[in-house]
Amino acid sequence: MSRRILVVEDDQDTQAYLAKALREAGYTVEATASGRDGLVHAVGAGFDAMIVDRMLPDLDGLSLVRSVRAAGVQTPAILLTALSAIDERVNGLRGGADDYVVKPFSFAELSARLEAVLRRPAETKAEQTQIACGDLELDLIARTAHRGERKIELLPREFQMLEYLMRRQGRVVTRTMLLEGVWDYRFDPRTNVIDVHISRLRRKIDAEGEPALIHTVRGAGYKLAAAG
Amino acid sequence: MTPLLRSATLRLILAHLVLVAISTGLVLGFLYWRVGGVIDTEQRAVVDAEITGLLDDYARGGVPALAAALQNRLATLHDRDAIYLLADSEGERIAGNLAGWPATLAPGSGWATLSLYRTDRSRPTEISARAVRLPMGELLLVGRDVAARAAFDRTLGRALLWALAAILGLAVATGWFLSRLVRGRIAEVDGAARAIMAGRLDRRIGLRGTGDEFDRLAGTLNAMLDRIETLVSDLRTVTDSLAHDLRTPLGRLVRHLEGAADENLPAEARQRRIESALGEAGDVLATATALLDISRIDAGLGAEQFMDVDLGRLAADVSELYEAAAEERGLRIAVATEPGLVVRGHDQILALAVSNLVDNALKHAPPGSTITVSTEIADGRPALVVDDRGPGIPEADRTRALDRFVRLDPSRSGAGTGLGLALVASVARMHGAAIELGDNRPGLRAALRFPAEGTTPI
Repeated sequence: MSRRILVVEDDQDTQAYLAKALREAGYTVEATASGRDGLVHAVGAGFDAMIVDRMLPDLDGLSLVRSVRAAGVQTPAILLTALSAIDERVNGLRGGADDYVVKPFSFAELSARLEAVLRRPAETKAEQTQIACGDLELDLIARTAHRGERKIELLPREFQMLEYLMRRQGRVVTRTMLLEGVWDYRFDPRTNVIDVHISRLRRKIDAEGEPALIHTVRGAGYKLAAAG
Repeated sequence: MTPLLRSATLRLILAHLVLVAISTGLVLGFLYWRVGGVIDTEQRAVVDAEITGLLDDYARGGVPALAAALQNRLATLHDRDAIYLLADSEGERIAGNLAGWPATLAPGSGWATLSLYRTDRSRPTEISARAVRLPMGELLLVGRDVAARAAFDRTLGRALLWALAAILGLAVATGWFLSRLVRGRIAEVDGAARAIMAGRLDRRIGLRGTGDEFDRLAGTLNAMLDRIETLVSDLRTVTDSLAHDLRTPLGRLVRHLEGAADENLPAEARQRRIESALGEAGDVLATATALLDISRIDAGLGAEQFMDVDLGRLAADVSELYEAAAEERGLRIAVATEPGLVVRGHDQILALAVSNLVDNALKHAPPGSTITVSTEIADGRPALVVDDRGPGIPEADRTRALDRFVRLDPSRSGAGTGLGLALVASVARMHGAAIELGDNRPGLRAALRFPAEGTTPI
């Protein structure tokens, strides 16, 4: 059964674009332009996730999420905002949202983050000590990485990046997700800092002759996966 | 209300007039009442004393002695208003300067004012007197001719009325003069304000050089107008620059999209066009984001999220983020921090500012050089310093470099948003810190100096 996503967005173009793109990605979508309708839907019908615009004409997105949480509904929520991420994101997360995407956004970014919030519970439950992807193994206790027999020397931050990618293997990870997840920075550094870090990491992980594990996803970000 | 009555100065003059009239009237009325009262009381005391003295004379020598005393007094006293009458029990005059005993006056009845004939006057005069009956039945009257006193009262009253009139006249004159003065100065302010509203932003209120309140007010208003003019021209510059900075990439964006719309274009070339268009859109977005960040930071938003931020950690983290990018450009980032330098601030916004400084250094540093990110404490003020070995900024341009949309090197137009240092300056203001651009001989030395520990930023 495909997962049901609630979209609350008052801009008709954005709403139609989101609904279409989400349906193409295999989700079932319910869309509304009204914050009040959105609140009723979110509390009533069991959605798997909701995407809520921060600024709605009747009830603003932050209040909507807060009300939904107050009603005891834990459906993952992503806020969309045209405001600056720097301080608004903190407000959004404090209000009970799970993630925050700044407009204008690429669908790849939103989709990657949606995947992330949908899987969040599974990520945190296990006290993993080892993660593997193909022949790449990460020891979370000793903080060491091996590819087959080869030991890979990683800087602490590189280890963190690799851990972040491996915990989300097979899924797209965007540059902003890496920046947030590894550095805890919410601003756009404008320079291709993440790309450079990834290409360094890639040189260490994917030695010559070995099948590539770190893949670039055009227009979106990166993906760590064995065999394609 | 008619325009005349609506005039504040007219109302002020009227109020002034009423107040002056009431206060002057009160003062003069009191004066009039007191002066008359004092004279009356004094006269009565003198008369009472005289009666006592005359009764002594009578007790010593009877009627003849009393009559002699009266004659003597009338002859020697300078007070021509003194009135005496000694009459027998029938009211027949024995001595004194009154023609006869007034029929209506009963002895022992206290003070009375009567119209009587004096022996030395042909017409009756007002007399205020006291009468007593002597032990042997004779009658004695002692009093004062009050005609002069009434005349004095009238004169005093007239004088006081004149004084009142004169004071009111003066009040009108000063009121008129004051209102003319105030109206003149207000008209000047009004004229300047209207000229400014009509678009002449450089118009100022004229000073008279007197240093009075009006000059001081005009000085303050002029200073305010200077500030507003600066802000308006800043805003105009920003708007113009913004229009320019948006039109240029938007124009390129349109050209790329037009190119991509060409049906005969091979798929690969179209893809390149679209990617170029995306790049231009990214530039526009970066400009918009930076402007939005600056305005939100200037508005102090996010200040409630302040926390203790370790400067050394901040320097190390941001440096590490840029380290790989620096290496790619053949640069090195060195970090030299002192432990334990903690400031109150917004961690994200501070990291954004430092990343702007490092990004700036990265763009200007020559290949092979080292960028240093360090922390220090000077005069109790913690600081974070980013040094590069690039061309630096000439001293004359350092203040301007912090303005929005300033690109000091014209050949570098297009690189960056021209907002990086303006954003850093905004962040500094938000944290009560100072941004200091100095010479690194060669290169730029950009320092963020925070307030000394214990002092809270605004």
